[in-house]
Amino acid sequence: MGRILCVWWDAWALRRADIPSAEASFAVAKGKVIAVNELAREGGLFRGMQRRAAESLVPNAHVIEHDPVGDTRRFEPVVQLIEDVVPRVQIVEPGLVFVPITGAIDYYGGEQQVVDLLVGNIEQAFGGGARFGVADQPFAARCAAALAIERPIIVSDDAKFLASRDLSVLPNPDIVDTFRWLGIDTLGALAALPRAAVASRFGNTGLDAHLLASGDPQAVSPRIIPEDLVAGKVFEEPLLLVQQVEFVARELASELMTGLRAVGVAPRVIVIQVESAAGSLRERTWRSTDPLTQVAIGERVGWQMRTWLESKEGVGSGIVSLKLLPLEVSGEGRQLGFLEDTAAVQQAEQAFTRLQSVVGPDNVVTARRQGGRTPAEQVRWQPWGEEDAELERATIAPWPGRTPGPAPSLVPPSPVPLAVEWDGGMPSRVRLRSRWVEVLNWAGPWRRVGRWWKEEEAVDEYQIVTSAGAILCHVRRDGATFMAALYD
Amino acid sequence: MLTTSFGDVLDRRALDDIIGDTALRVLKPANILCVEPGRVVGLVGETGTGLTRLGMHMLTEVSQQAPVAIVDLNGWISPLAAWEVGIAPERLVMIREVARDQWADVMGVLLRGVPAVYAEVPPGISGQVLRRITSSARKLKTSVVLRSITELPSGVAHLMISSQGVVWTGAEAGYGYLSARDLLVGVNGRGAGGRNQTLEVEDDGTDTLRMVGRVGASSR
Repeated sequence: MGRILCVWWDAWALRRADIPSAEASFAVAKGKVIAVNELAREGGLFRGMQRRAAESLVPNAHVIEHDPVGDTRRFEPVVQLIEDVVPRVQIVEPGLVFVPITGAIDYYGGEQQVVDLLVGNIEQAFGGGARFGVADQPFAARCAAALAIERPIIVSDDAKFLASRDLSVLPNPDIVDTFRWLGIDTLGALAALPRAAVASRFGNTGLDAHLLASGDPQAVSPRIIPEDLVAGKVFEEPLLLVQQVEFVARELASELMTGLRAVGVAPRVIVIQVESAAGSLRERTWRSTDPLTQVAIGERVGWQMRTWLESKEGVGSGIVSLKLLPLEVSGEGRQLGFLEDTAAVQQAEQAFTRLQSVVGPDNVVTARRQGGRTPAEQVRWQPWGEEDAELERATIAPWPGRTPGPAPSLVPPSPVPLAVEWDGGMPSRVRLRSRWVEVLNWAGPWRRVGRWWKEEEAVDEYQIVTSAGAILCHVRRDGATFMAALYD
Repeated sequence: MLTTSFGDVLDRRALDDIIGDTALRVLKPANILCVEPGRVVGLVGETGTGLTRLGMHMLTEVSQQAPVAIVDLNGWISPLAAWEVGIAPERLVMIREVARDQWADVMGVLLRGVPAVYAEVPPGISGQVLRRITSSARKLKTSVVLRSITELPSGVAHLMISSQGVVWTGAEAGYGYLSARDLLVGVNGRGAGGRNQTLEVEDDGTDTLRMVGRVGASSR
């Protein structure tokens, strides 16, 4: 059985020189709080809460946007320091690493010696704040590190240690709620259930939770990964620009995932290997609790490469080769829909990845429906491949005054000025490009009172039918008219 | 669901009898307003004539199996209409604000990776580029719907659909609201059996478009 050391910094994103330590601070990503400092925690903030709620609870708190590249760059010296003692550090995210220490235990003469050495080195170089936990499995080591506020916690029996832990330590909050509803509150109670019954009732999610709660090895497939599944590229001209490297990273991530999907596996751990023009070799290992997706791999490779390219001891002379190796794979593939054509979906994903480098990531988008009154408000855009962004307006609210269906198919990003002639308060002609067209019919007006406290104007909404089609028209209080949408 | 019929095959009453039958509504008869692998459909007409929504409708069947793409030149196309006609939000990817000089590259990538593409054609794109797209679509078995304000060069589209008019119902001198529309479209090309035909399409804002069988077809 191997031994794993977890080193974890609570709120690594806030360990920055520009953040005053005497003020409450928190970091946000995609509208959610991802890190809070002690003062903010005393104010009632916690990880995972909505940004708006956090700001209302502690209005004078210092808020920073998540900066994964900056966090990775600041974390690189920590990883290097640990690797000076034990090789093959596995980064989960900046501020959280797992270190396989089985070999080092023999070399340094014991588990306690390895831990003491690392604790001493880290505290000397970076001060306090790091927490250390040792166990057989990464999950138990992470749980131990979370409790290790004053000194490292070394777990000798994972199952026994985990049994009394609350279910909230599990990574999937949905399944936690379900188990609580069934009266199961601790990992021990969950582990006591028959695994087959849990798998049958709750599927892969339940099975994963049961494996973690039992302290069993995660569902990692021990099969040998074929050599040709390693994605790599050699460059005649060294790559010096971050954008070039990020582009290649996305391509290689796509190539790697295509190969892995074909054999029905997804990686949990990947190794990034680069060779610089000066001949130096660099290698870094990234781990994830869930199987990594193509986008997640591309992101991590991008962060790592940027860190290496921009650091003094990195690969400043340029990169001549880049390789991605899947180290541990999981048999848990992505669940596809009943009618979904797997090959077509993979091909499409590769095409969208390539398009992001042609037109820019922000112009390859998907959308979700959200609440709102106008057609423009009802769409939440997000770059393709990114995790779902938080909705700006709730869909379940009634939204009285919503523009009636059918939905217009063309909606300009902002209303476009439109010339309308009025006859006795009724629209009579509309100017479309250079010609005036007769209004054949119209519906409205519907008064929409804007959010005056946000300086939105009140408008009267009309649906105007002309011989050239129908227009959704807004008339402001000063008589200015705008085209809000077109029914094409 | 898209239910179609040629104007000279069924009269309106007969068609209404068929589409009124719930059991039959889920069947998809051989229809004209749909995409086929490797074929290009051209939609030609002024903005406002209902062709964008018709084009989106053509992608719905393919979107049940794989992602489909929309190339939106100006960032105006609203996914609300696409969802309304039956494309699942998670299956729709939009490429927005594509510059004219990027358009051919974007189409090249999409034709290789996506089974069905709806693309607005920028003004001034050469016939050579469009014919290359037709040729690639045929070779790669990709369905393409090209939406253009101006005429497309001959030989580009397997099926050419041009707008001849649109009639809205529901709004009446300030009362009601737009609820449904009838599109009158001309159809020609090899996909229409080599005949010029005029079809009327009912669009009531749901995911069902209905062809109305009262319009006569003219033989070439």
